[in-house]
Amino acid sequence: MPSETPFQINIPDEKLRILRAKLELATFPDELQDIGWRHGAPLADMKRLVERWKNGYDWRKYEKELNQELPMFTRDIDVDGFGALNIHYVHKKSETVDAIPLLFCHGWPGSFIEIRGMLPLLTASSPKHPSFHVVALSLPGFGFSEGAHKPGFGLDQYAEVTHKLMIALGYNEYVTEGGDWGFLITRRMAAKYGGKHVKAWHTNFPMADPPTWKSPLSFLLYLLTPYSAEEKAGLERTAWYRNKSSGYFVEQSTFPQTLAYGFTDSPVALLGWFYEKLVIWTDDYKWTDDEALTWISIYWFSRAGPGAAHRIYSEVSGDFYNLGRTSYPTIPMGASYFPKELLLLPSAWLRRLNNVVIESHHKSGGHFAAYERPEELTEDVRKMFAKGGPAFAVVPGKSGYA
Amino acid sequence: MTSETPFQIDIPDEKLTILRAKLELASFPNELEDAGWKYGAPLADVKRLTERWKNGYDWRKYEKEINEQLPMFTRDIDVDGFGALNIHYVHKKSEIVDAIPLLFCHGWPGSFLEVGKILPFLTSSAPEHPSFHVVALSLPGFGFSEAPHKQGFAINQYAEVAHKLMVALGYNEYVTHGGDWGSLITRRMASLYGGRHLKAWHTNSPLAKPPSWRSPLFFLSFLLTPWSTEEKAGIERTTWFHTKGQGYYNEQSTQPQTLGYSLADSPVGLLAWIYEKLVLWTDNYNWSDDEVLTWISLYWFSRDGPAASLRIYFELRSDCEDLGQSPTTPMGASFFPKELIVLPAAWLRKSHNVVFESHHKTGGHFAATEVPEELAQDIRKMFAKGGPAFAIVPGRTGYA
Repeated sequence: MPSETPFQINIPDEKLRILRAKLELATFPDELQDIGWRHGAPLADMKRLVERWKNGYDWRKYEKELNQELPMFTRDIDVDGFGALNIHYVHKKSETVDAIPLLFCHGWPGSFIEIRGMLPLLTASSPKHPSFHVVALSLPGFGFSEGAHKPGFGLDQYAEVTHKLMIALGYNEYVTEGGDWGFLITRRMAAKYGGKHVKAWHTNFPMADPPTWKSPLSFLLYLLTPYSAEEKAGLERTAWYRNKSSGYFVEQSTFPQTLAYGFTDSPVALLGWFYEKLVIWTDDYKWTDDEALTWISIYWFSRAGPGAAHRIYSEVSGDFYNLGRTSYPTIPMGASYFPKELLLLPSAWLRRLNNVVIESHHKSGGHFAAYERPEELTEDVRKMFAKGGPAFAVVPGKSGYA
Repeated sequence: MTSETPFQIDIPDEKLTILRAKLELASFPNELEDAGWKYGAPLADVKRLTERWKNGYDWRKYEKEINEQLPMFTRDIDVDGFGALNIHYVHKKSEIVDAIPLLFCHGWPGSFLEVGKILPFLTSSAPEHPSFHVVALSLPGFGFSEAPHKQGFAINQYAEVAHKLMVALGYNEYVTHGGDWGSLITRRMASLYGGRHLKAWHTNSPLAKPPSWRSPLFFLSFLLTPWSTEEKAGIERTTWFHTKGQGYYNEQSTQPQTLGYSLADSPVGLLAWIYEKLVLWTDNYNWSDDEVLTWISLYWFSRDGPAASLRIYFELRSDCEDLGQSPTTPMGASFFPKELIVLPAAWLRKSHNVVFESHHKTGGHFAATEVPEELAQDIRKMFAKGGPAFAIVPGRTGYA
């Protein structure tokens, strides 16, 4: 297998020219009076963002920043039945030789960019906390990773490519951090490769099933125990997500190609669809226009095109509901709960089904926790693996300390 | 209230220029191997249609045809709480003076164009069948009708507009035919204006609640009666629609503006979104490329843009989910095998005053386009001499 190739983002001028040409032709719908965010991003926001993207937003500036901040590489990873896919990833080692290898796995509409806040913190060396060697890949079809070319690239395949990347980098034993799809993928990794390779896993997107009558005692407790204020708020947020904010999920998991046409032809279409999520899925995060445009430009300029990434929903959705019930991992798990996450279920449900060794409950933060609250999430991960922590030295010989 | 103004579609050249400029810049995604229709319209189809739209498709030709074939008008209709909306409609009278006034009500992604093929059948005069004066409006936010400007324009408002249009045209008593949203809207009209104004209603998208244990005998018979072949097929189709076909509905009824940004900026995006439905929702209908492009151009060139047409989903979501009380007004139902929700006719009969029913072996969601003659026959039969709704509009039998 070919070895690692250093990678720098360098979008061809032609692509920038095409983007500009399309933005010059942008046409907008009207908007109902006083509609605010009720139907999607407000028209004023969209017009302002498009104007900025067209005039003023400097992709080359942010491209350069990413290249400077994030040491990036590509390498081919072979996936059984799918051939070799060229995978793009961030890889930064700590100065601490025995730092813990940690895989960071993003989701949708996220990307490798979500590691940028945590990267310096996780890799920092100090006697006071453990240190990590961090790998943050672009999932196939996202960012600058090649996408699968045929149907059937499901959870097993995402898990396989991610696991094989860690092995290829010499990390035979490692831990993981994931949110959104990253949660489902790292959970599958923990189930398939746990014990031997994956030693522990941490998430900011803990998902669990409610107790059923099949476990009568749990079910009874579930029925009888009143919810705490935090739990009630969490269930309300979950209901809101299910009823009001999952239209994207149903379309993406049934007709992803239909959406792909709009996303690929129109940067405004992409912006509308994605910007809505950046705002309503976060906890009042103060996106600057350029910050939002950089997130979305990564999709616009992605290697497989803006129509490819969300195929994950149709390829995995059959798996989505079945996974958990057949193979809950047994390796140690850490969970961070942020109040504006999308699915917020009572933590007892998670503890019942997983080997939860540490959990933390935050008062602020949303779905993109690594990006919104990098210090808090890093703190949670450090605590899990710290001296005296529940997963200390879980990777033999790599305690994270000098 | 202004009176009727004759209307001709005349899209400004500027709009055609912009469309062409966007199509010249069209970019396409890749496609998974052997994807077929599994994930949406195939790439080859969308590329071919885009190419045709850019080079070869002649909007002016079809604009002229529509203007020649469909006598169109606009007039202001006042809607309580929303002010006056300028409504676009087709209005064609039969030669038979006492023809039955019939309102034809479309849905999404349909339009007033859907009346085109059925219009000659309905308005033609013959001693063998009844004849109709036909009114086919563009619902507010569709075609060339003005869209509402504020929230809360819900099913009662759509019903009010359609009803007031009929009354404004001098049709104090009338019947209706509707499909898709048109079915739900005319059903509500039957509840609000039935008896006094709306005398009977017909639909090709009949909806009913399933039997509940609250009617034990019916529920028991439902449990015990084996499904017919037709019913089994209907349940399969309904299951497909429910498990695989809800994406557009979920997005449109929760975040219509989000999708609206896409449909308003990208003709390719709009094409893909609607073309997928034109194929999956019909019964092997042989769409010509130009026919597809005319349907989609209508949305592209619509008075208030394609995004406005999505808002009906947001405003009427609860009406979709809870049908509420059924009207007692006599109804007719045509069952087509590739409709989206195909329920056992017994469920409809249980909850509605069904006086006419027919079951077809072919045809889908866009029945007026796919099988116009069959649909026209159904409507004629319902109101024919000896039919269950003959002379239901006093003094307007539909015969000379």
